[in-house]
Amino acid sequence: MALLSVSDLTVELQTSRGMAPAVRGVTFDLEKGGTLGVVGESGCGKSVTALAIMGLLPDGARTTGRIELDGADLLALDEEARCRIRGNRIAMIFQEPMTSLNPVHRIGRQIAEPLRLHRGLRGANARDEVLRLLERVGLPDPARRIDAYPHQMSGGQRQRVMIAMALSCAPDILLADEPTTALDVTIQGQILDLINELVDDTGMGLILISHDLGVIGETTENVAVMYGGTVVEHGATDRLFANFAHPYSQGLFAAIPQVGAARTGPLRTIPGTVPELADLPSACSFADRCARATEICWRQAPRMERIGPDQRTACHHHGETAA
Amino acid sequence: MTETVSNSDRGSGQGTGRGTASLGFLGRALGHRSFMIGLLLTGAMIISALVSLVWTPHSPTEIVIAERLKLPSASHWFGTDQFGRDILSMIMAGAQTSIVVGLIAVSLGAVLGVSLGLWAAARRGWTEDVIMRLSDLNLAFPVILIAILLTAGWGPGIINAILALGIYNISVFARQVRGAGIAMWEREFVLAARAAGKGNLAITIEHVLPNIISIIVVQATISFAIAILAEAALSYLGVGSQPPNPSWGRMLSESQSYIFLAPIIAVWPGLAIVLSVLGLNLIGDGLRDLVDPRLARRR
Repeated sequence: MALLSVSDLTVELQTSRGMAPAVRGVTFDLEKGGTLGVVGESGCGKSVTALAIMGLLPDGARTTGRIELDGADLLALDEEARCRIRGNRIAMIFQEPMTSLNPVHRIGRQIAEPLRLHRGLRGANARDEVLRLLERVGLPDPARRIDAYPHQMSGGQRQRVMIAMALSCAPDILLADEPTTALDVTIQGQILDLINELVDDTGMGLILISHDLGVIGETTENVAVMYGGTVVEHGATDRLFANFAHPYSQGLFAAIPQVGAARTGPLRTIPGTVPELADLPSACSFADRCARATEICWRQAPRMERIGPDQRTACHHHGETAA
Repeated sequence: MTETVSNSDRGSGQGTGRGTASLGFLGRALGHRSFMIGLLLTGAMIISALVSLVWTPHSPTEIVIAERLKLPSASHWFGTDQFGRDILSMIMAGAQTSIVVGLIAVSLGAVLGVSLGLWAAARRGWTEDVIMRLSDLNLAFPVILIAILLTAGWGPGIINAILALGIYNISVFARQVRGAGIAMWEREFVLAARAAGKGNLAITIEHVLPNIISIIVVQATISFAIAILAEAALSYLGVGSQPPNPSWGRMLSESQSYIFLAPIIAVWPGLAIVLSVLGLNLIGDGLRDLVDPRLARRR
């Protein structure tokens, strides 16, 4: 049985124009110790999926489907039970390390919070554990930094602090929502290495969310490409990178700038913009930006189809080569 | 490690900068002229109230008819009133009344108002609607009207003035705190705290409240000034502190009948009210600048 199993997850959010579907029938499994990358443009529903797993959706959101942790449906739990899972069995780190820490508390105190909450550690015991965690995430001079305020640290250091906080209760799953997007490229590499190393050491599962296919390709065993609130392609990372079948994933892959490659023209882009949630077409949501779209794409939503070992895609025209 | 430590990097600029920045706060406070003037004026009021507890030049309640309506002199620095009481002594003792009324009214309003505001911000939905509409209802009744209502029920007295001001202040604080609190709930560190498994109460106390405390302090100084003014107004109307308990407002009201005979006796309580309200307002303004350096203006 998978550690985390998300099936047919649908999330509707309240917008000024009424309820809009942000996630539509997302399904994936995460095995114990497995790593999954979720990639897609802003607004494709990847962060909403993460927040749904955490149970931190904004007020008024409607969720259907199942999110099972070790076979128990999280959506059926009450708020108190979910609080006991958050930060304890499933931890999350965010995009903006600059604003994810409370400016008025010392970082040691903030890391100690989940320890106190979920493991009942206090005082000197908690402090020792915090020091151990800070050392583990590679923060220089932890004995001194433990009493620092967030504004005294750099972005990379703060993201290390966030990771220490997330790790504090040895979670089964780490949800990382664009953990390196706000950081310098050199620091990005360090943080990704750290996350990889921690996943290997602790055997926790990882769901890494990013708009950067390059980051995902280097970090996770499996990839789910999301567009318009659904997963359009899903499979083993090496399989997909060898042969993306969905025109959207192909577009994303082609849009990665190649360092050193001769510039023969402008950078490749996917024409058009991400549709607004309330305007999502009912059939294939990518149809209006897709060069291969035919009449059937406007009439009927494509189903997820297995097109090879460890690769599934949702496209009526997956067999055809790019136009 | 290529990461560098930067003390000037204030991130979102939201750090209230305790710890290393506390020295900077003191330095900025000393350099903020209007804040220091406010501190001086308010300090003078507090000191005269404290001194009057143990010593005044004359008894503020001693009536000496032979000495009535005297101009300022060596034995009566501010002169005497229509009963021959020493005005300086009455002003000093009157400061006690103002401070007690202000302190209790603001504390009452702050404790209840902040709690309600935080609750509204945390719960949103109908809880927030009920709290805020009740608060609007409360604000629709002027302080004076509430005080007169209370007086009609329980007779005139200083307790009613304090209650009326306190009740009014609940709404003032609740509105301020709700607004600032909602903004805090949208912040990422609150989301991160929720992701760590913290409940609403813990987040409110540990994350929301400490980040809006400066707003509450500023509001408290402003409300204190308003309370002093309102206490004077209520006493002037006769629904505040009762004789012989000295009060600036009542001194002003009583001096009215003698305004042509001895105009000076109206000046002293008026001056005391103006200067103490001015002092508190300057402190409030100064604090607002000092806790938020981005808003600091040169004065």
